[in-house]
Amino acid sequence: MTIVKDVVCPFCGCLCDDLEVNVEGGRVVSVGNACELGATKLAGEKRMKNPILRDGNEWRDITYDEAIQYTADMLLAAERPLLYGWSGTHGEAQCVGVHMAELVRGVIDNTSSVCHGPSILAIQEVGHPGCTLGVVKNRADLVIYWGSNPIDAHPRHLSRYTCYADGFFLENAFRDRKVIVVDIRRTDTANLADEFVQIKPGGDYAVLSALRAIIRGRTETIPPTVAGVTREQLIRVANLCKEAKFGAVYFGLGLTMTGGKYKNVRNAIELVAELNRYTKFTISAMRGHYNVYGSNEVNTWMTGYPFGIDFSRGIAFYNPGETTAVDVLARKECDAALVVGSDPAAHFPRRCLEHLADIPVVQLDPYPNATTAFCNVQIPVAVTGIDAEGTAYRMDGVPIRTRKVLSTDYPSDEEVLSRIYTLMREELGE
Amino acid sequence: MKYLMITGRTVNQGVTVENKTSVEYAEETSTCFMHGFDMLELGLDDGDAIRVTGPCGAVVMRAVASVEVEIGTVFVPYGPYANHIIDADTHSTGMPDFKSHVVEIEPTDEEPKTVHELMEELGGLAYDDR
Repeated sequence: MTIVKDVVCPFCGCLCDDLEVNVEGGRVVSVGNACELGATKLAGEKRMKNPILRDGNEWRDITYDEAIQYTADMLLAAERPLLYGWSGTHGEAQCVGVHMAELVRGVIDNTSSVCHGPSILAIQEVGHPGCTLGVVKNRADLVIYWGSNPIDAHPRHLSRYTCYADGFFLENAFRDRKVIVVDIRRTDTANLADEFVQIKPGGDYAVLSALRAIIRGRTETIPPTVAGVTREQLIRVANLCKEAKFGAVYFGLGLTMTGGKYKNVRNAIELVAELNRYTKFTISAMRGHYNVYGSNEVNTWMTGYPFGIDFSRGIAFYNPGETTAVDVLARKECDAALVVGSDPAAHFPRRCLEHLADIPVVQLDPYPNATTAFCNVQIPVAVTGIDAEGTAYRMDGVPIRTRKVLSTDYPSDEEVLSRIYTLMREELGE
Repeated sequence: MKYLMITGRTVNQGVTVENKTSVEYAEETSTCFMHGFDMLELGLDDGDAIRVTGPCGAVVMRAVASVEVEIGTVFVPYGPYANHIIDADTHSTGMPDFKSHVVEIEPTDEEPKTVHELMEELGGLAYDDR
């Protein structure tokens, strides 16, 4: 049995880098330090054995060479291909994806368009007063989770950085660090909070505005309740924020997926800006996929834009709502799709799936998933962080090199994509 | 009766997310968490089948009582069941209204479909591991 230490977890944006993985006979037999989500992913089995091709109403096994040729031909024949996913793979593979999209003048989008895309739109409007997780761990005496439920989605965020993480300036985090949770549901995270602010669905913008008014000294303008939250509680929360030495807001999809979307996030950022007149306050998004932040980074430094990039004009063009995957599919605009490191069939509205059924689709994924049903070809690949290594960006923008704990015969996303890209360039005579 | 449907992550959804053809993933993502009073009003016990109708169609799920949701609100873990009835309009943001759909809920004798059946209904072809 081999114990691999300091393994980086390839599940969520926390990218925990302290896992201990026991490997025996080419299998992961146990995982130490991980949460249930990470441990299950690392011990995952039932991988697809070889590439498959849909042949009428049957599936047929094909070789990697055939699958790669099919993908290159599909992308070259398409007028408006969509290259979607990218959050479940490493940065090196994302780079190849951007080159491919440019070569075929396609649309490349990543899962942030249905996750924290609206947060990025808000950041583009008013900036991002953020910091690394280490700063919060060592300094923050107040943490606010707004519209996020880390116990279910980022289970170790609390133990590594907030509630239970002692820091340089906090000897006893559990006692010295106040936690406020704002949500429409009384989640398990809410039950841990010193102060739980339960708002009515869709009320985030109003509550944020009320807090901003109180911080600005306009308490007299606040009605007895705002979106179900009492005036007294709003004043209490505003005071907790002003009295903190260092506050940190972490927000989730409760802000990005409800009415107002990026305007909610903008209001939260502006609340943090107001609070910085009194004390030190930061705000950051609870990023979901382990490398969704990386897909934004890679796309931005290669094209200037973080997601939803359309190369049909020969230059990078960005217009969320038009060049984002859900919209491109719902308008039945793309005529081929390459899916890498995500599962749109499980996570997109049905109208998008109906179009996926009508066009050629190739997916790179280690496992059969919901999108498999819409594929013409699926190519099984190594899992980054298990049997392939590569760079991922943590939710606070810190790049971390994931490790390889197993050796398998599966090629990495980068290897498969590079072969497809090389073949496409050869066929174009480049 | 009309309810506000919220979707979101759960630990069980995350644990089964890499194994979407499993019974456990289907069970988790076809669960509709409701307030006990709302279930009482509809005459539902834990695990009873319900037909949930949204702007794009209907899907059968199972109702489970939860202390986390308020009266009038239901919570469904992210996945193919909720997305079967969610509209693709993004109001020019790229993001559908995953957390703000009004749905109609009624008891039904039908059983929830499998993930494979849902995908085939939309034109896909299920792949089964051999």
